[in-house]
Amino acid sequence: MVLTHSTNHTYSHPFPTVTLAYFLRYSSPQLNPFAAHVLSTDTISSHVDPETQRLYTTRIHLKKSRMPSAVYKLLPASVSGGNSGEKASYILETSVVDIKEGWMKTESRNLNFTGVLSVVEKQHFKVPSSLEAVARNETDVNSSVSFKSRLGEKIRGKIGQAQESSGWLPGFLGGLGAKGIQRSIESLASTKTIDQLSKSRDGMRLVLERLRNGGVIGVMEKLRQERQRQAVAM
Amino acid sequence: MSASLAPECNEVKERYDTCFLKWYSEKYLRGAEKDNKECAGLFNEYQKCLSVALKNRGIDKLLDEAREDNKENDSSNVWLDLLAAEKGMPADALACGEA
Repeated sequence: MVLTHSTNHTYSHPFPTVTLAYFLRYSSPQLNPFAAHVLSTDTISSHVDPETQRLYTTRIHLKKSRMPSAVYKLLPASVSGGNSGEKASYILETSVVDIKEGWMKTESRNLNFTGVLSVVEKQHFKVPSSLEAVARNETDVNSSVSFKSRLGEKIRGKIGQAQESSGWLPGFLGGLGAKGIQRSIESLASTKTIDQLSKSRDGMRLVLERLRNGGVIGVMEKLRQERQRQAVAM
Repeated sequence: MSASLAPECNEVKERYDTCFLKWYSEKYLRGAEKDNKECAGLFNEYQKCLSVALKNRGIDKLLDEAREDNKENDSSNVWLDLLAAEKGMPADALACGEA
């Protein structure tokens, strides 16, 4: 089963600014305090298709794990990494911008812990279809997040990471039922993530406000000053 | 600017990010000069540094697995677009081919 949650939202900022805010949203906790859990951001590919003029970008973010503690409690340390283990997730973000047609599609998914839980977030930003909304400089976005647990299933021909290191899994899943555990993980994660979606929108709105007030040059100058302060402090 | 996952790449990453944001906001979004070749030199330098870190941390393998899973489980448009872009073909052709 896959649990999916979908929402629509309208930003009161023009489409090009919204796409810029998307790229800037994890730049610094000063710019976006809601992104303090993002430890790093790297671009691994970026190119413009010469025919369509679409910009394709792939980035990897490292985030402090937001897997709910209730999920950790469901899992033995051999799977969750335990309390002292790695609690950060690598997130793969792919995006396509078509500035001519006025849309941007993005997708983010976790790269590790996928044997326990896959979270895929998709966003579709677009210039609104009504002329009044365009005149008001609005941008529509549809977001969907899906949750899928494959704990105990065969993945790429092997049983998910859970089973390899310990013998607990057959008994554990046999008693409670693999499907039951998967459903619990999916629903725990979705409850937590839906809370966080509004924070992620708040973060976008803050970046958008700063772009409105200072423009991209102002924002970049702030980031540069912040870097200098960090360099001096070190 | 946010850090790179590899601290040794921070400096070149920041220079690339600054170049990209300037190009994106001043040229791409304004419909002028579509290709981002002006940042290509910095990008290559950045990737040279980053690829070592991706390999050391096993992230290159995680990426391969994600691509493989994606082929098996889901027909996301962004991924099809990306795969198509890598192969230099339209996404629709790829979607039909894998259906």
